[in-house]
Amino acid sequence: MKKLENFIYGILNEKKKKKLVVTLTAVAFFASLLMFPTKMVLAKMLPGKSDNTFSIYIDTPAGSSIEETKRVSSCVIDFLKKEEEIMHLELFLGQGIPLDYAGLVKGASMKQTENVAEISVNLTDKHHREEPSFLMVQRLRPVIKEACLPLVKETNIKFIEQPAGPPTMASVVVEVHGDNLEKIRKVALESSKILNQTEGLVDVDVMADEIFDKYELIPDKEKISRSGLSVEQVNNILYLAFEGMVVAHKNSNNSTDQIPIFLVLEKESKKLFSKDDAALRSKLSSLNLMNMQGVMVPLSEVVYLKKVKSNPMIMHKNLNRMINVIAETDMVSQVYPLLDARGQMMEHFEKEYIVEKEPGINTYMFDLHLTDRETGEKILLRWDGEMKVTLDTFRDLGGAFIAALVLIFLLLVVYYKSFVLSGIILLGSFLSLIGVIVGHWVANWFTSETFFLTATSLIGFIALMGISSRNSLLLIDFAKSLMECQGMPKRRAIAVATATRAKPIALTAVAIILGSALLASDPVFGGLGVALISGTVAAVFVSLLFVPILMDNAKAMDFENDTCDMEHHNISITK
Amino acid sequence: MQTTNKKEYQVTDVAGKLAKGFLRNPLTAVLGAFLILMGYLALNIMPREEDPQIAISGGAVIVPMPGASPKEIENVIINPLERKLREVSGIEHIHGMAMDNVGVVNVMYYIGEDREDSNLKLYDKVMQNMDQLPKGTMQPIVKPFDIDIDIPIVTIAFYPKPKSGLSEVELFKIVREVQQKLNSVNNVAKTTLKGARKAQYNIEVDMGKLSAYHLSLGQIMKAVQSVAVNVPDVKGRTQQNTLVVFGVKNAIENVDDVGNVMVAQYMGSPIYLKDVAKVTEGIDIQNFQTAEILHKNAKEEQFGESAKQVTLTVAKLAGTNAVFVADDVMDVLKSYEARFEKEGMGYLVTRNYGTRANEAVNELMHHLIITIIIIAVMLVFALGWKESIIVTFTVPAILAITLFVAYLSGQTINRITLFAFLLSLGLLVDAAIIVIENIHRHLHAHDVESKEMDELLVEATDEIGAPTNVATLAIIMTMVPMAFVGGMMGSFMQPIPYNVPVALIASLFVAYIFTPYLSLKLLKKPKHKDHHKEEVHS
Repeated sequence: MKKLENFIYGILNEKKKKKLVVTLTAVAFFASLLMFPTKMVLAKMLPGKSDNTFSIYIDTPAGSSIEETKRVSSCVIDFLKKEEEIMHLELFLGQGIPLDYAGLVKGASMKQTENVAEISVNLTDKHHREEPSFLMVQRLRPVIKEACLPLVKETNIKFIEQPAGPPTMASVVVEVHGDNLEKIRKVALESSKILNQTEGLVDVDVMADEIFDKYELIPDKEKISRSGLSVEQVNNILYLAFEGMVVAHKNSNNSTDQIPIFLVLEKESKKLFSKDDAALRSKLSSLNLMNMQGVMVPLSEVVYLKKVKSNPMIMHKNLNRMINVIAETDMVSQVYPLLDARGQMMEHFEKEYIVEKEPGINTYMFDLHLTDRETGEKILLRWDGEMKVTLDTFRDLGGAFIAALVLIFLLLVVYYKSFVLSGIILLGSFLSLIGVIVGHWVANWFTSETFFLTATSLIGFIALMGISSRNSLLLIDFAKSLMECQGMPKRRAIAVATATRAKPIALTAVAIILGSALLASDPVFGGLGVALISGTVAAVFVSLLFVPILMDNAKAMDFENDTCDMEHHNISITK
Repeated sequence: MQTTNKKEYQVTDVAGKLAKGFLRNPLTAVLGAFLILMGYLALNIMPREEDPQIAISGGAVIVPMPGASPKEIENVIINPLERKLREVSGIEHIHGMAMDNVGVVNVMYYIGEDREDSNLKLYDKVMQNMDQLPKGTMQPIVKPFDIDIDIPIVTIAFYPKPKSGLSEVELFKIVREVQQKLNSVNNVAKTTLKGARKAQYNIEVDMGKLSAYHLSLGQIMKAVQSVAVNVPDVKGRTQQNTLVVFGVKNAIENVDDVGNVMVAQYMGSPIYLKDVAKVTEGIDIQNFQTAEILHKNAKEEQFGESAKQVTLTVAKLAGTNAVFVADDVMDVLKSYEARFEKEGMGYLVTRNYGTRANEAVNELMHHLIITIIIIAVMLVFALGWKESIIVTFTVPAILAITLFVAYLSGQTINRITLFAFLLSLGLLVDAAIIVIENIHRHLHAHDVESKEMDELLVEATDEIGAPTNVATLAIIMTMVPMAFVGGMMGSFMQPIPYNVPVALIASLFVAYIFTPYLSLKLLKKPKHKDHHKEEVHS
């Protein structure tokens, strides 16, 4: 104790040493801040968590048959079968897996077409498995994609992990807004190409239907009416023949459901020889309609055949036409690939469009405004998805942090009736940021994956503010009573106070560190744990070395001997 | 309580008042036991879940318009509907989708909007504007999202065992029975089947034969429809006015009856349906939504053949305990096991959020206990074992109060609640440590002989009252603004700003009430004055 007291006193007494401590603190502070731009510490909203399950979404292009989808799915399953850690896997063709949190916002419940399939994979318990689910996905993704994507052209395979926090549509979402459908489609496709080339982004998908060839049967109205038929009849027979229809029901006492009676053409009868209009025409010619006179009329007689392009779905968001391009991140924070891709896009679209950035700072600050150089049409590239949620969350947490600062400041001003003393305490606690940042850098060394600065780290930092302000608070309180009640000189009083308070400060710090130690091992709350541990360590040093200097320099710390207030006589306990 | 010959210590802070009031009160021990009991009860009763519930409300309006192209749908359905929905307050995003034959508008409300109100508002707005619906559209369908009911907590895959010969239809029948039983389980909300294949009579017409007999598909449809009718019984009266009830039996009893439907007469001889078509009793062939499962057999390392399966999903009602519901569901399944064995079918539980929630909660409880023990051990070295016991007791008491308050305010035990506890653990021992350290110091002070134990304890507690209050208040103030963080992340993190301040306030009260009380029971004044190491002072 005596040693520490003399050490502090020594620093306070010499201007050089004082300056050295202040400079060191300032250097440490700015050096730690520099860890962000130099990417030594990476930021992300929430890290991945190892789970006992993941799912795979398979989308063959719009207009594909269920058999084609199944072929791709079987290929994926063949790979999964080789995995030792997979307990069971389920394939759902033409529909989504039973809804989960990830599927909730990804529109899994809307799936009901032949070109979709989902595979749900259940792994062995994560406690007894060496490989976390996210590493397994990272390992399997390229292998499976390479083998299975070429089976059906333009197929998309996405690996979906359970979100650690609230679910988002995708890590990176580019919304292409614009009025001209062809143009936004083109921009969306080009953006997806850029995202595909960006390092760290995987599972890129344009959320728009692929355009495929289809045939339009145009009814010849005159021929139809002259043959004694009706257009409705033509439509019905066509549907009946190829899709089939439930024509009647049978109720049954010993069956749980009604038994439908389903009428359709035989499989062999309705199969076309090939995918061209001659085959379709010959098929239609063998399909007869009976008119009112009881005469058979071949279907091909009353309709024209026309080859057209399919109509893709039109998407709106908040009343504007839009196409989404989505991408997932591959074990990295979405911030950095996003900035890369954005730079690439600005360069790419420069040729045809005037590219403008979003003015001002808000949570849409990465948006790009494109204006066509010839027609003047405007297109908006908006970044949404996890990035937007991250920015919103960090903005709100930042706001909460500032609010917390103001509240503490006001509380201290009420307690001390001095702005300077309150300021010292706030500054002291703010410096625990050094520890938080450096702590993440150190944690990154010890973990095999990147240790991100996350939203929970921020929560930890906010909580730290309160904790470290208490250290300084007790210190000031103590020194004040020493000076007031015992008439100790200022410097000696500060040194004594620091030395005596060192024990409880260290004690509570150790309690916090031990308390957070188990937090640090959790994937989601690891940030909070690390922030608390390293921040507390920094806070101890700041309050024992840096705060005394500030106290010594502050005029507000000059207390008179005779003003001893018996209410604050906790000094007597040390004697 | 105070000795008369000495100057009475003036209690100045709430801390001292509490300490004084409870120090000799026989009810203090009862209060302590009561608090811990309440906490224990809350821990067992409170609904457990893995992640906290986020109030997401929204819904979809589906307007079918057969035969319309996406652009037509966009113009006549999506655009006017979106404009109308703009009038509803609280909607964050509107997503419109114009497809062939159907228009869908999804609305997402701001996080935290009341779910029932939101659903009502959406339905109301659509119904108000029914008159403006374009001609040719069908009745719009309004489907609200309901996370609790939409996300199943248990999914079970039923599959026929290899070589059992159980058909898909029979499998479906049994699963349907199980579904009926599961729906009767307490707090089970929605159950659905995925991959189910239903029984169906299939008439597959051979096009060649059709033209050979000079028939059209329309004739066949009419022929079947005319036979498969159900009519209610008719009542006839006798001359004595008694009732005679008779009815026409459904002409189709089994699949053979369908095959024997006469379609037409050709050259005088009847043509039956079975002559031109393959009539079979089978499954719904038009349904392409199938499900398969692959699993490892108990002893084998390799995956077996993929089997057709039916997945039964079970969701629970909001605010109920996932653990209990899942357990009840498992019990029902167990009761069916013998039947499954007989029929040759197996089942696998492919999702169980009940056990997941329970495991997550138990794991964190485990962490919590380890952390408490670590802190207790540290305090033994720093303060002595009796003091350590006192501080360690305060932790369960504080957590019990916090849990009980959380229970009363309708929260659930989930990962985030427990993280809030872990986070506050490091903070909430502080108050007790500060009090016990001050008591410790007083006990080893020079003037210890001159003071009564009671007075000393109250004085020691009271002295540190003011700074401790301010420091704790400072930490609470950092937590409060976090409650106003918006969006999904805000709701997700909500248990932290709700529970940490409660725990901190509880820590103050427990420290002021129980620390002096327990010190009175456990700590003794040292027999002779000795300078403790920490007391060495300049």
